[in-house]
Amino acid sequence: MLGYLGRRFAAAAITLALACAAVFASIHLLPGDPVAMLLGEQAGADPEVVQKMRGQLGLDRPLIEQFISWIGGLATGDLGRSLRTGEPVFADVMVRLPRSLELIGGGLSIAMLLGIPLGVVAARGRGRVAGTAASVAAIAGFSAPVFVSGIILVIVFSLWLDILPSSGFVEFAEDPTMHLACLALPATAIGINFMGVVARMTRASLSDTMTKEYVRLARAKGLSRDAAILKHALPNALVPVIAVIGIRAGNLLGGTVIVEALFDWPGLSSMLVSAVFARDYPVIQGALVAIFAVFVLIGLAIDTCQGIVDPRTRESAA
Amino acid sequence: MHVTAGPWAAAVYLTVVVILAVFADILSPRDPLAIDPNNILASPSAENLLGTDELGRDLLARIIHGGRVSLEVAVSAIVLASAIGIPLGIGIAFSGRRVETFAMRVIDVFVSLPEIFVAIVILGFAGGGLTTLIGTIGILFFPQFARVAYGMARSIRAREHVLCAVSLGAGTAWIIRKEILPNMMSVIAVQASFTLSFAMLMEAGLSFLGLGVPPPTPSWGQMIGGLKNYIFINAWPVVVPSVVLFAAVLSVNVLGDWLQDRLNPELRR
Repeated sequence: MLGYLGRRFAAAAITLALACAAVFASIHLLPGDPVAMLLGEQAGADPEVVQKMRGQLGLDRPLIEQFISWIGGLATGDLGRSLRTGEPVFADVMVRLPRSLELIGGGLSIAMLLGIPLGVVAARGRGRVAGTAASVAAIAGFSAPVFVSGIILVIVFSLWLDILPSSGFVEFAEDPTMHLACLALPATAIGINFMGVVARMTRASLSDTMTKEYVRLARAKGLSRDAAILKHALPNALVPVIAVIGIRAGNLLGGTVIVEALFDWPGLSSMLVSAVFARDYPVIQGALVAIFAVFVLIGLAIDTCQGIVDPRTRESAA
Repeated sequence: MHVTAGPWAAAVYLTVVVILAVFADILSPRDPLAIDPNNILASPSAENLLGTDELGRDLLARIIHGGRVSLEVAVSAIVLASAIGIPLGIGIAFSGRRVETFAMRVIDVFVSLPEIFVAIVILGFAGGGLTTLIGTIGILFFPQFARVAYGMARSIRAREHVLCAVSLGAGTAWIIRKEILPNMMSVIAVQASFTLSFAMLMEAGLSFLGLGVPPPTPSWGQMIGGLKNYIFINAWPVVVPSVVLFAAVLSVNVLGDWLQDRLNPELRR
C-alpha cells in the first residue's frame, strides 16, 4: 500500500510540475503581449512607457530567468502581486481556495447521495417503470448544463418559494446559517450535474455485478433480492464508480467556473475569470496553479480511496 | 428495428433545430438584432411568440439564429478534433513500443485536464470569435479521439482477418485503410456523438461567461448569460434558451446512447 501511494504521489508531483511549466509557458508564449494589453491602445503605442512597464514587471529579463524566479516564488508561497489591486496573489488564493473546495465537496456529496440510490433503482428495475424513470432522471441530470439547472434552482427556491438566497456569499465565521444558505443552491447545481454521471455508472456497474455468481449464491442461500443487491453486489459495483468519479473530477472542478459566475461565489474560478478579463496575468497564473493543484489532489485522493477499497489496483498500477 | 419513443423524439427535435439553424435567414420571423425599447423582457405574445430579451429583441428569432452558432461551433470542433485525433491515435498504435507508452501517457494527461480552464485562458488572450472558439474546443477534444482510435487500432490489428491480410503481404497503409478504419467507425461514431454534447456544453459555458462569439450575434449560452441577471424582473426570457439548450444536449445524449446500443451492444454501459 505504501509503495502504491508513493508511486501515486510521485506521479501527482510530476503532473503538477508539468502543469506549472505549462501555465507559465501559456501566459508567456500565447499571442498577445500582456504589457500592451494592460496599457491599452494609447499608452501601449508609446515605446518608452511600454519599456518602463516591462522593467517594472520584470518582463525584460530572459524568459528562463523569469521562470526560475517564478518557480522560486511558488515554492515559498509568493505568487507575485495583482496588477490591478497590488494585493499579494498567494493570500487571495488561500482565502478563495477553501470556498471552491466547499462547493466541490458539497456538490460531490449531493451527487453521491442522489446518484447512487438512483443508479441502484435504475439497475434493479430494468424494464420496469421505476427503473426507466431513474434512467431518464440520470440522463437528464447528466445533460443539463450547470447553468440551466442553476437557473431552475434559483427560480424555484429564490423566486417562487423565497427560502434561499439567489446569489452572494457570507463568511462562515460571520453567520454560519446564512453561509450554508448561500452554499445550498450552487452546491446543488454542481451536484445535480454530477449525479447523472454517478447514477449512470452505478447502474451499468451494478447491472453487471448482479449477474455474478456470488450474488446468485447469496440468493440461493435465502437472501432476498434487495438484500443480495445491497450487501453483496453494491459494494463491489461501487469500485468502478469511484474510478469514474476520479476521471471526471475535472468536470466537477470545471462546473465551479459556471456556478461561481452564476451565484457570485467568490472562489478560485471566479478569480480566474475576472483576472482573464482584466489581463491580470500574475493572478491568472496563481489561480491556474491553485486550480491544477486542487485537480491533482482530487485525483490523488480518489486513487488512495481506490487503493483502500480494491487491493487489486495497488498491484496493477505500476 | 425497434426504436423507443426517446430516440424518436430526440431525432425529431434535433432535425427541427438543424433545419431552423441552416435556414435561419428565411425561417426567422423577425430580425434577431432589432431592438425595441418599449417592449423589453416580455412574456410570449402574438407579436413575439417566445417573448423578448433585455433589449426588446425577439427571442424566437434569437433562438433560431443562436442555434446556428451553437451547432456550427460544436460540429466544426468535433470534425477538427477527429481529423487530428483519429490519424494520431492510429499512428501511435503503429509506432514502436517506446513511442506508444510515452505518447499515450501524454494523451492521458491531456484527457484528464479540466478543459474549461485551458479554454478560458486561450480565449481570454486570443479573444472570442467563431474561429478561435472552434479551434480551441477542437484542440481540447482531439486527445479523446486519439485515445479511442489508438485502442481500437490496437485491438483490430490483433484480429485474425488482419493477421491474415498481413500474411498475404498487405502493407501497413492498406491495412489501415481497408481493415482498421472501416472496423473502428462504429465506435468512433459513438465517441463523436458523446463528444458533440460536451462540445455544445463547452461552447454554451464559454459564451455564458462572455468568452464566446461576441455580441450582438446570439448564441444560446450567451443569451442565458445575459438574461440571467433579469430573473427577478421576468423569469420567462431566461427559461427559453435554457430549455432549448437542455433539450438539444439531452437529445444528442439520448441518440448517442441509442447508437451505442445499436452499434456496439457488447460495450453497453
